[in-house]
Amino acid sequence: MKRIAFGLRGVVPLLLAATAIVIVWQMVVVITRAEPSLLPAPWSVAKTFAHLVGTGELLIDTGVSLARVVSAWLLSAIVAIPLGLAMGRSRALERIVDPVIELFRPISPLAWIPLAILWFGIGETGKVFIVIIGTFFPILLATVAGVKSIDSVLVHAGQVLGCNTPASLFRKVILPASLPSIVVGLRISFGTGWAAIIAAELVAARSGLGYLISNGMEILRADQVLVGMIMIGVLGVCFDAFFRYLNRRVIWST
Amino acid sequence: MGNSNPSSGKPITIRDVSKIYESKNGDLVEALTPVNMEIAAGEFVVIVGPSGCGKSTLLYMLAGFSKPTDGKISVGADLITGPDIDRGMVFQSYALFPWLSVAGNVEFGLERKGVPKTERRAIALQYLQTVGLQDFVDKQVSELSGGMKQRVAIARAFATEPSIIFMDEPFGALDALTRRFLQKELLRIWQAHKKTVVFITHSVPEAIFLGDRIIVMTARPGNIKSEIRVDLPHPRDTTSDGFRNYERRIYADLDDELVKAFDLEGRAAGA
Repeated sequence: MKRIAFGLRGVVPLLLAATAIVIVWQMVVVITRAEPSLLPAPWSVAKTFAHLVGTGELLIDTGVSLARVVSAWLLSAIVAIPLGLAMGRSRALERIVDPVIELFRPISPLAWIPLAILWFGIGETGKVFIVIIGTFFPILLATVAGVKSIDSVLVHAGQVLGCNTPASLFRKVILPASLPSIVVGLRISFGTGWAAIIAAELVAARSGLGYLISNGMEILRADQVLVGMIMIGVLGVCFDAFFRYLNRRVIWST
Repeated sequence: MGNSNPSSGKPITIRDVSKIYESKNGDLVEALTPVNMEIAAGEFVVIVGPSGCGKSTLLYMLAGFSKPTDGKISVGADLITGPDIDRGMVFQSYALFPWLSVAGNVEFGLERKGVPKTERRAIALQYLQTVGLQDFVDKQVSELSGGMKQRVAIARAFATEPSIIFMDEPFGALDALTRRFLQKELLRIWQAHKKTVVFITHSVPEAIFLGDRIIVMTARPGNIKSEIRVDLPHPRDTTSDGFRNYERRIYADLDDELVKAFDLEGRAAGA
């Protein structure tokens, strides 16, 4: 019961905010007598939403976008977490890799879209590439920070309690000690990956939520654009809530 | 296990051990000038000294975390080359693993030693009972007070049955009453298990209350100023004349060194 009540407390402010947005939106539509093809009323967007759910289009596009993000995000994690753990422990490796990261990190994943299209065309590879660029650095940096913030006394404790190889020390102390920070990195990178995939799909795609939006623009259907945008927002909030839940329930905290 | 089959402590030999390290600005700092010391098996040795006298440096070399610049440290017949599960340690900041439960912390070393799961649990319970925490077995570390955390750390250090336990100002962060209580607990456990204990503290009364022998260190570069054998029966009465006499002697030795230590600090700040 308590946990359900706690969940509701988190949802209520979001519902209130959504209601307020819809009210303001409706008022703008009424006051400015907006052209429906440019700013449709909430109710007509809701109808389009229901229609796109009915035809299955919305779910397919969402699924496609999600599959791209999840696969690229997992690929990033598989490389970034071990690399981050190693960098956090090895001053030498950090000195070599860190300048490379510093040079690449300020380049937005969006700036890679043209190259991705040149290299991979508009197939799946290019989009996965963009999301990898967008998710890799947050995971890597959070992992490095997690390892470096480990109190050396915990490492010493592990050593006098029988972790006499670097491998056992990593598995029993370094990894669990940096896990909260790694999960934060995974959460943040999912957000950046989610933003990157939409951008990539806006530019070059034949499916996905970004495509739904850009297609809506091309056929002058602002309602379709808004449906896509709403879906992005709602899913973003859901993922974030999921990771926060994971952080609270599964991962230790001090 | 425990009282039934105590694995006794081992002696430590420290031969001409010195430590010189490089400070952040590149200067060489002599932390320890050649130190010689013999610690008997099962002995409780307390090291006291002014801040920065190298007592923690010495303890970290004994534990195997860092290597002496020169000299040799051996336990029994073996030279110390690195940390080992046979030499346990209790840290001032507890160093409990926050992702493990209380029992999980105590079982950590047992698991590394390859003790089967059910047996591990039983041993952990036994040691948690020894420190009076049998009702906190499944609690998370973050739910415990400082004093309770240090009791878990003591249980964890003794549970693997090491021959030596190093204690680095273990009660330094605790309030006076908790400290007094844990000193008694520690003596009781030590008397039951007969491990060799090397204990570092700033507190002279704590040193006299616990130690078979007290080693007073000089200001930096650290060396042995004096060695005092405490010939008082346990439990020691901190208000007795005998106790007061030891206090006077040790404070007298320490006072000279404190003057030097503060003088050293003053010069470092002036330069």
